[in-house]
Amino acid sequence: MKTLRDIALLYRRSFVQTFRVPVWLAISFSTPLLYLALFTPLLKSLPGGSEFPPGVNVLEIFLPGILALMAFMSGASAGFSTIFELQAGYTERIRVTPASRLALLIGPILSSLTWTFFFMTMIVVVAEPFGFPIHIAGLLIAYVLLALLMVLFASFSIAVALLTKEINSFAAVVNGINLPLLLLAGILLPLELGPAWMRVIGHFNPLYYVVEADRLLAAGHLWNTTIVEGFLVMVPLTALAVVWATRVYRRAVS
Amino acid sequence: MNTNGQPVLEAHDLTKTFHTRKEKIEAVRGIDMEIWPGEIFGFLGPNGAGKTTTLRMLSTLLPIESGRAMVSGFDVYKSPHQVRQRIGYVSQLGGSDRLATGREDLLLQGELYGMGRREAEQRADELIEVLDLAEFASRRVQSYSGGQRRRLDIALGIMHRPDVLFLDEPTTGLDPQNRANLWVQISKLREAGTTIFLTTHYLEEADALSNRLAIMDHGQLVAEGTSRQLKQQIAADSVVVSLQEDGAGSEGAMRLLQEQDFVREVSAEPDHLRLYVDDGVTALPRILRLLDRNGMAIKTVTLSEPTLDDVFLRYTGRSLRDAGHPLD
Repeated sequence: MKTLRDIALLYRRSFVQTFRVPVWLAISFSTPLLYLALFTPLLKSLPGGSEFPPGVNVLEIFLPGILALMAFMSGASAGFSTIFELQAGYTERIRVTPASRLALLIGPILSSLTWTFFFMTMIVVVAEPFGFPIHIAGLLIAYVLLALLMVLFASFSIAVALLTKEINSFAAVVNGINLPLLLLAGILLPLELGPAWMRVIGHFNPLYYVVEADRLLAAGHLWNTTIVEGFLVMVPLTALAVVWATRVYRRAVS
Repeated sequence: MNTNGQPVLEAHDLTKTFHTRKEKIEAVRGIDMEIWPGEIFGFLGPNGAGKTTTLRMLSTLLPIESGRAMVSGFDVYKSPHQVRQRIGYVSQLGGSDRLATGREDLLLQGELYGMGRREAEQRADELIEVLDLAEFASRRVQSYSGGQRRRLDIALGIMHRPDVLFLDEPTTGLDPQNRANLWVQISKLREAGTTIFLTTHYLEEADALSNRLAIMDHGQLVAEGTSRQLKQQIAADSVVVSLQEDGAGSEGAMRLLQEQDFVREVSAEPDHLRLYVDDGVTALPRILRLLDRNGMAIKTVTLSEPTLDDVFLRYTGRSLRDAGHPLD
């Protein structure tokens, strides 16, 4: 129970501090809005293939992708704070306390996750009047899947930050991994629009399964193989990433 | 010094080797030491001597490779959790939380050590008082000056009343005024009975604050003892006496002093006598009494000790003042 208490303490710290960086809040909210405002119009004028049947609003395809992108980016960028905390000596100070190593990792991640959920919900609410149909049950399950995605990449990002210790190597590693993952997940446009080889490679990308499942869930489907696949891929991967990052916290020589 | 009971901290044959692709760096090569309750143990050495590596091993941050370290009876390698509960550690970087206020940061620290909210609040207020943080404790840390931040760092380190506080180069980067202020704060902690393990590369600091000190160079302890003991090993103290009447009085005094067995050597210089003695502090009153009893009035007397710099020079072959620049 010490672990739960430590998680709560470190969660509260991160959560409260988010208010103190209003710029971060503004950017976090405006980025997905910009995608919606400046990217969606382009989709509407695409030659309507089989993926965009006449009755379907492009937002139904595009918005779940934006939500996945938000969860992914929030996770992948988690290590930036870690780098700053390392350089300020905060990480070392906190590692000398008897606080649970799992809590050191997961407290701040859960705080970012809360904020991500908040922004995701705002985006859904904003998109609704423009023709995005809200399926509550499906969205809730999608949130669980996206939470796994966020925790997976946040753990990975923080572990990489602890191991690289400085901003340049960290940014290089994280960006180098992000871009191919994003491009091969069909996050903005479904991979079905691309050639067969892209879809084949996509199957080796965990993010692909999340995005596929996420689109179906957002459309109100609650149960089919794609959704189950999404969870079957994410649950073990996320667990692995959390265990690994906790180990790095235990051993990191910072 | 209190040598009853258990040492707070002991290390036996502690070693650490870093492996890089090309070479093996033996950062710490077999360190033995004991630190007793209430001591301020000064750990002196040039940058790169292995001080911080030693400290990081003792404070559970770096795995111990070989040898053994115990804190309050707990093995640092086997029971890091128990050890963490009993030590405070203030790194060179500090570690205060930039976006938190000083008080919030103290509360978080206390609670992570298992204190209840109320207990943490009481302790935080106490430390705000003791370390003089009241003026800025409710402001965010990012607005603090270097000296203010250092005081908060130390408060964070002792929030949970540790058995031993590790201070790694606490005054590095502070201006002389803030350094002096911090010395006062550290002395207050000593008076309150806090056991402190202090690394520094400032001789004045080690001399002013610590009861006992060790000199580390190239991964090994090259000397250990009280500041006085170390200096005594180096050279004798010198006492310079000048008498009221010149000439005849001086010669009589010289003969008289040469007969004393605590005086190693006396030399007559133009207007004063220079005596070399083993221990100036005990020799001085004897010299005064002797001269007085023989009717020789003293005009001035000065006692000068060898400095720690002399000690350092002797053991490491170089002066600490030019022993290099920070490596990290």
